[in-house]
Amino acid sequence: MTDRKTITRKILLALAVCAVLLFCLFPFVQILSTSLKHQFDWGNPSLIPIKFNLEAYKELLGITKAEEPVVPETVKALLDNPLLTEEKKEEILNRYRSTGDIFPYPRYFLNSLLLSASAASVSLLLAVFGAYSFSRLRFKGRKIVQRGVLFTYMIGGVMLMVPLYQLGVKTGLAKSTWGSLLSLLLIYIIQTLPVSLYMLGNYFRSIPYSIEEAAVMDGCSRLGVIYLVILPLSAPMLMTVFIYCFIIAWNDYLFASIFLKQFHDFYTIPLGLQSLFVSKNAIWDRIMSASVLTLVPVLLCFSFAMRHLTGGLSEGGLKE
Amino acid sequence: MSSEITIAQRESRLGWKLVAPCIGVIGLLIIYPIIYNLYLSFFDVRLTGERLFIGLANYERLLRDSGFYDSLLTTSIYLVGSIAGSTVLGLSVALLMNQRFPFRNLVRAIILLPYFAPVISVVFGWQFIFDPVNGIYNHFVVETIGLTDNRYNLIGDPRTALLVVILFDIWKHFPISYLLIISKLQSINRDQYEAAAMDGCGPVGRFFHVTLPEIYFVLGTLIILRLVWNLNKFEEVFLLAPNVRTLPVFTYYTAFTGIIDQGFAASIAVVQFIFLSFLVFVYVKKVLKW
Repeated sequence: MTDRKTITRKILLALAVCAVLLFCLFPFVQILSTSLKHQFDWGNPSLIPIKFNLEAYKELLGITKAEEPVVPETVKALLDNPLLTEEKKEEILNRYRSTGDIFPYPRYFLNSLLLSASAASVSLLLAVFGAYSFSRLRFKGRKIVQRGVLFTYMIGGVMLMVPLYQLGVKTGLAKSTWGSLLSLLLIYIIQTLPVSLYMLGNYFRSIPYSIEEAAVMDGCSRLGVIYLVILPLSAPMLMTVFIYCFIIAWNDYLFASIFLKQFHDFYTIPLGLQSLFVSKNAIWDRIMSASVLTLVPVLLCFSFAMRHLTGGLSEGGLKE
Repeated sequence: MSSEITIAQRESRLGWKLVAPCIGVIGLLIIYPIIYNLYLSFFDVRLTGERLFIGLANYERLLRDSGFYDSLLTTSIYLVGSIAGSTVLGLSVALLMNQRFPFRNLVRAIILLPYFAPVISVVFGWQFIFDPVNGIYNHFVVETIGLTDNRYNLIGDPRTALLVVILFDIWKHFPISYLLIISKLQSINRDQYEAAAMDGCGPVGRFFHVTLPEIYFVLGTLIILRLVWNLNKFEEVFLLAPNVRTLPVFTYYTAFTGIIDQGFAASIAVVQFIFLSFLVFVYVKKVLKW
């Protein structure tokens, strides 16, 4: 009797776990599957491609050579003219190359990587000192600073987009390429700074005072304490906060679309993918392989830092 | 005695010095823009930066704008649906993962994937699933179980697209609810369950008498925080279904597309800011004693 009961229980448990796994993983499997399919295969519900297609990946990573331009005979004759300079020849050839089809994924990837990594670094650097200050030092106004951090931590980008854009226009930054990139970098810093302050503040508070006191006894200054005691102790947390900030900047579409619209060379991945998606038809394989390529580095990062990350998250860092 | 004061003073001075750069950056690029936004909402603002004072006209227009009310309704449905869904699913999965079974740690890690995956790398996959021509959803509904005769573009229609957005949000965010709930569940003392069992409580009774009171606080925190985050959500909604006009998407359209009216957009942002401040106030008063 009890045996049968435990067996039914086990089966139900297994079914429920499988259902949860299916729900979590299905979209990922679908993305991977479509990225490997040929166009004729897209409508096929089977997740295993009839014939594997790696062209989309090759194209995105720039492994496929650019096609030689198809030039009409008459023009070829013209090109043989020795009076033509090399420059002119290139110019004529370029007219027959279709440049509209190229999707510079590595470039977008690099733009995103540089912007996100620099924003996360600056934000982390500022936050280490700020968070140390209001979590460990006593001063008048500390409570207000703490409350202020919590409040700004909950302000969404949408509420800042109009004034920040207007400020960009007023200061003239939004007109030039580098000005726009700088604005974007500053925006990513402020989008991530309150989170970093909040997460690090919570973490620093959990480090026992006695360790610090021992260092002070040995003649360490406060800054020395931060550098020699606090930073080494919180290395995993610093990594977590960095990844967290990185992801916030990496995900941003809103501000990139506002500031970088006319600077195609500096598109970030979300902006580039979205504009590819709305501008062309029948590109599911490319869109999906770009998705996979965007996903893989992040997943690697997370599998590496998973343990610390989940700990940090459940301690109250939750910004999205 | 006097050296005691100097130590305190020195600490205070150092405290301000260390936090000053953060305050400067936050003040200049968050606090000031919020005030500037309020100021702009009283103007007719052009993209080029020119502006004309018009008093409360933007707010009067907002109160008469049917698009605004539609957007409030959409936002409410989105908030209720996504938060109820992700909390219930998160709680169920947390209870499930609290059981013993093989490969439990691996499964626990896999569950977190949707949360950690960048939005941009998964939205198009979701679009594909619901694609009217190739998507597996339409294949399943039309060909496999024959629920309807025609393939239907779920994301093309704003009403059904809202459902897809809610489902996507649940998929993306239930892992964080699960994570916070399970870390609380694991801290519940086994003795309490045994005591409840002695009193004659079944599994359901134990859930209501022991588990629920213990995680009550976590659930409250989760719901308020999710309200705050989802009220701010832009990418998840806009990239998946641009026709679902929640407040942030509505503001974005007003400020940067079509007939551009940044002053009007600023006034919508002010309204959203008021909602948000209220939520944060509740959070600080009821949940957090920081």
